[in-house]
Amino acid sequence: MNMMPFADLARVDAHDKVRGAVAFAADDARPNLAYGAFAVATIGKGRLASLDVAAAEAADGVRLVLTHANIGAVASAGFIMGGGYGFQSHQPLISPEIAYRGEPIALVVADSLEAATHAAALVRATYETAPFAVELDAPGVEVVDQAETPLAHFIPPVAAGDADAAYARAPVQIDARFASAPQHQNPIELIACVAEWQAGRLVIHEGTQNAEAVRHGLAAALGLDAGLIDVVSPFVGGGFGQKNSLQGHTVLAAEAARRLARPVKIVVPRAQLYHLASFRPANRHHVRLGADRSGRMLAAIHEAQAQTSRHDLFPGEYATTSARLYGIADFRGKDELLRTDAQTPGYMRAPFEHIACFAFESCVDELAYALGIDPVALRLANDTTVDAVTGRPLSSRHVGQCLERGAAMFGWERRSMAPGSMRAEDGGLIGWGVAIGTYAGLRAPAIAKLKLTDDGRVEIRVGVHEMGQGVRTALAAVLARKLGIAPEHIVAIIGDTRAAPQHLTAGSWGTATAIPVVEAAADALLARLAELAPGGVSNREPAQILRAAGLPELAVEVQGKAPGQPDAIYDRLKAGLPSIGGPVYPEFVTYSYIAHFVEVRVEATTRRVRVPRVVSVADCGRVVSPRTAASQVRGGVVWGIGAALREASEVDPRYGGFLNADLAEYALPVNADIGAIEVAFVDEPDTRFNSAGVKGLGEVSMAGVAAAIANAIHHATGKRLRELPIRIEDVL
Amino acid sequence: MSSSATLRTGGHPPTPGRVAVELVVNGVPLAASLDPRRSLLDLLREQLGLTGAKKGCDHGQCGACTVHVDGRRVASCLTPAVQAHGRQVLTIEGLSPAGSPLHPMQQAFIDHDALQCGYCTPGQIMAAVACVAEGHATSPEQIREYMSGNLCRCGAYVGIVAAIEDAAMKMAATTMATAGRSAEMPEARHAAV
Ligand code: FES
Ligand code: FES
Repeated sequence: MNMMPFADLARVDAHDKVRGAVAFAADDARPNLAYGAFAVATIGKGRLASLDVAAAEAADGVRLVLTHANIGAVASAGFIMGGGYGFQSHQPLISPEIAYRGEPIALVVADSLEAATHAAALVRATYETAPFAVELDAPGVEVVDQAETPLAHFIPPVAAGDADAAYARAPVQIDARFASAPQHQNPIELIACVAEWQAGRLVIHEGTQNAEAVRHGLAAALGLDAGLIDVVSPFVGGGFGQKNSLQGHTVLAAEAARRLARPVKIVVPRAQLYHLASFRPANRHHVRLGADRSGRMLAAIHEAQAQTSRHDLFPGEYATTSARLYGIADFRGKDELLRTDAQTPGYMRAPFEHIACFAFESCVDELAYALGIDPVALRLANDTTVDAVTGRPLSSRHVGQCLERGAAMFGWERRSMAPGSMRAEDGGLIGWGVAIGTYAGLRAPAIAKLKLTDDGRVEIRVGVHEMGQGVRTALAAVLARKLGIAPEHIVAIIGDTRAAPQHLTAGSWGTATAIPVVEAAADALLARLAELAPGGVSNREPAQILRAAGLPELAVEVQGKAPGQPDAIYDRLKAGLPSIGGPVYPEFVTYSYIAHFVEVRVEATTRRVRVPRVVSVADCGRVVSPRTAASQVRGGVVWGIGAALREASEVDPRYGGFLNADLAEYALPVNADIGAIEVAFVDEPDTRFNSAGVKGLGEVSMAGVAAAIANAIHHATGKRLRELPIRIEDVL
Repeated sequence: MSSSATLRTGGHPPTPGRVAVELVVNGVPLAASLDPRRSLLDLLREQLGLTGAKKGCDHGQCGACTVHVDGRRVASCLTPAVQAHGRQVLTIEGLSPAGSPLHPMQQAFIDHDALQCGYCTPGQIMAAVACVAEGHATSPEQIREYMSGNLCRCGAYVGIVAAIEDAAMKMAATTMATAGRSAEMPEARHAAV
């Protein structure tokens, strides 16, 4: 293995992106396109009593109105966490039942977007209403213990030692409750697809993180052979978990395109996607942390409750994360799921880790203050090399180095411990906070097809999706270095079910999934080239060797999977099912780590909280693409600032659904909210985890940011704030 | 400046009627027959095939659809296409036509990795070019304020600010170099779009 750090390489698709030349799914202006628009349910729950689409059908330019009455044999593709392919098992429009406010009741397809939008507004419905619950404490909410569901088979509750007894004995006890509002991923690319039938094949153009699940899910929903479906997703305009599986609109677009024998484009309006896609569930936590007087953490109990839907169980993995922050021998976790009348919630960047780290790292800060120990020193004193939950060694853990380097970069030694003790020149309060974050080291199976042609071009086909994290650049970086060629000669065909099986790209496993297999493919190609050049390759480029051997092209195919996975995992991969290994492997346990240092300023009169600077140091194994990796971390920090100080999806207990369903009312961080973000990497390869030494980065980047902000606000004001988002009124 | 140009409706318009407009897009004069409900963004994207400007909200809340009309940045999703009649529209495709070198702002976005997914990027760049031309790029704080109408969910803001600072200097150098040839500054136009 080449142990040198990777060179700084510009994002390989940036040149096209800055010219607007990258084609996202909706960037399609063919003249014969038909356009779809939805009419949606306006009750919290119940059943359609009548649905009148006559005016819509009669409207100018309308070609088709699909409703439950004429949809035919379309079925649910099932829930991705229940053996299926969809973000939820509930497929709108296939029955008169209304599960939640905002679900589609009719799809209008017309010659133009304007005609479709106008006609959708002409659809009239009456309903039989039923009681519904959208808040966690509303009457009718059903509480499910996750340990008693099938989810426990792959997310077993954390139970190390005897946490309750050890906590009861602990001389220092921290006991705190935390909560977070639901949030929506809101990538700037709207949910969109173009569905078309070409000579009996269904072709879907859609920005998705999971082309294979869209393909197999459509086959299940429409009763088709998956072999007749292609899903093409070369670029995703941000995923963040929202686009991780089949969504209902794609099924309906495909059906409409079949009936009209015309390509159909659906771009879901921003307001509607608050109900047509998943979201981060509302959640709350009770954390107890026990320590001795030296600061040694002895025991912890993390009990979590999170929202799910009536029709699916979206799992909670909060305690599994907090149990991995330190080496606490006695740890107990519990996850409860609360059934509400909403679409099924889902994954949103650092889905459990953001909140688990917020809750637990807030408690660690409280412990530091209870004992009068510096928060960085307390964390360093509780470092570990062993996974306390399983007793297995950690394949790598450099969080101590993250803390030490981050403290030096931030100037932490200039911090005075007492809350309210640091002031700005303008009279505002200054707070400095720290927190660590962790995220599981996961890996999925992948098949890589590498082809060299005699013109010097190298094509890589592998299962991974580009949603901005920079995987194209990472692929180019490793191939260019292995093969000794310029990155411009490398073409990555990814996010395309025609190229190679496309496993879901999420959970920060994309790099550890694709890169080791692609490196192995490059090694295989080099071995074949060496065979072709018995006299030695002698500094020749691969294409020169190929030409000298008189061959037009050379292709290799290599597959790889997570440690301990059976060979049958490749069948699951090809079937579009989640096939994720880790973080507990037969011989070790793998996590990524990060340390965040945050400065907040609390304005003296308005109490407005600003975040002028952040320093983040990550341990993600080998950094393959330094430039895009740094952008990933900055993006994660921006997400943490948004989650801590801005973002909340407001539910409406009177009518159901989400109220602030647009980008003006749902406050995302804007440019003026963000100050300096300084990023560094430990850059130590984890070769025990995989041959390339890479661990995940995108998710861990966000984990711990909210805690560091809340801890900084405590440092500035003396207030412990345990509900997110933290707003001005909380600091008054 | 043709803000007084009149619109012509067709002879026998189908309900709800179409409107003929003439406009110049990226230097090319065009005539289009329009549904009057059509936004400038949908005209560009769905009718003219200029898909560089993106739709992120359709409500003027995200900036992904930013283009220039008579030299000013506008949210094209909030601009009725008929309002572009007689006007000059510049989109990302026209900022550096295929084959020509990148605009300094585009190059700066690459150099500072001021993007991730790239979806907001055409709007960011069009807004950034206007931000510099308006004289609103004289400090990082000012750039942050005047670029806050363009959301980036990937969170590339640090890179975006650095790119604009960098490009602003290069654009100023170019303006100085060409000042002798043209007295008209692009930011001097104030059309009532
Ligand atoms: S699409 Fe125009 S501002 Fe969002
Ligand atoms: S680069 Fe993805 S939204 Fe800005």
